[in-house]
Amino acid sequence: MAHDDYKEMIPAHALSALDAAEERALNEHLAECAECRRDLAEWEVTAASLALSADPKEPSPEVRARLLKSVSSASSVVPLPFPKRKLWQIAAVIVFAALIISVIVLWQQNRTLKQQNDIAQLLTAPGTRVAQLSGTNEATGASAKLAYDQNGRALLIADGLPRAPQGKEYQLWFIVDKKPLPGKTFAPDNRGHSLSHDQVPQAARNSAVFAITLEPTGGVSAPTGAIYLSGAL
Amino acid sequence: MSSVANDVELLKAIAARDEAALAQLYDRYRVILFGLLMRILNSRAEAEDVLQETFLQVWRRAADFDETRGRPFTWLVTMARSRGVDRLRTLAARERTAVAAARDEAEVISDAASDAFRSEQRALIANALDQLPDEQKQTLLLAYFDGLTQSEIATRLNAPLGTVKTRMRTGMMKLRELLAGKGKSFGF
Repeated sequence: MAHDDYKEMIPAHALSALDAAEERALNEHLAECAECRRDLAEWEVTAASLALSADPKEPSPEVRARLLKSVSSASSVVPLPFPKRKLWQIAAVIVFAALIISVIVLWQQNRTLKQQNDIAQLLTAPGTRVAQLSGTNEATGASAKLAYDQNGRALLIADGLPRAPQGKEYQLWFIVDKKPLPGKTFAPDNRGHSLSHDQVPQAARNSAVFAITLEPTGGVSAPTGAIYLSGAL
Repeated sequence: MSSVANDVELLKAIAARDEAALAQLYDRYRVILFGLLMRILNSRAEAEDVLQETFLQVWRRAADFDETRGRPFTWLVTMARSRGVDRLRTLAARERTAVAAARDEAEVISDAASDAFRSEQRALIANALDQLPDEQKQTLLLAYFDGLTQSEIATRLNAPLGTVKTRMRTGMMKLRELLAGKGKSFGF
């Protein structure tokens, strides 16, 4: 699709009215096109003006009280800075070994042959990279590994995640220049383990930060929930 | 200091964990955002819950706000609307019907009382929407308040998808045109 085709989709995207496939394609283009990102920011202003066509209404005072109570309690969530890169080569080797072990464990779990082949192919492909994600204060015991090849074909293995509440799923994000691009959602099993496939957008393959948040089932186009895991290459 | 500068200052204070600043921002926007969420969710309980979630998100994410990329108002409204629509989508159809049956209309604030709530801008947007052809206006409102995608709108209206896409795009362009030049008084 050409730049002009994407440009035409932006007003609908500002209303989050694009169908899933179009939205995903446009998001990939947005990651690479500064002009379209500026365009989107302008259309978002137009979309937001629609909010003023709703009649203003007064919420009950309890909402304010609850809000202030929850931020003043110790439970308030402070976003963690993403971990700095250090000794990443060594870490990558260790992570890779851990991945292989995870894969062997998975093989023992009677996964289908196709899945095994996919994983093996991904891990042995030249240029496959591995990012380690560590748990934030939301999930201190959690960890994850994201491996992806030169084409962005990715495998995410997460462990130690709390069970997602009803109506929620975890969602992977690729953060490029502070802008989060949505990845797929997944739900860990009873042991907090999850194996899922994804596609890393072109723009995120070299310099992205990766994060996992808790979001409404089906995922969202921009993160709304707390960060549970984060990391970089 | 203009109200916009104030909003930016408030967000910076919130990013620095200033609870009083959060309370101030809440007081400034609660009525607009609650009106928006009531329109989306049609339920006082759900709308209040999402309103609280939205401001909790502001508390957590204030540091991410980038004033070079847009105004605080747009940021807040976009966040509230997105959470509202997400909630609408996650509510089971059964629940939604029950909610609609027990529809609990919150009292509308009179224009005189809502002076602090951008009544001038509200008049501008109402006027602009009135100037759109009905089918364009309907397409924008179904997307914005009902959270429907273009395909869902096409199904709902029994119209070809291409027609819906054209109406939405033309409607948005016309709306932007009608609001253009009003930027100063519009205050986004």
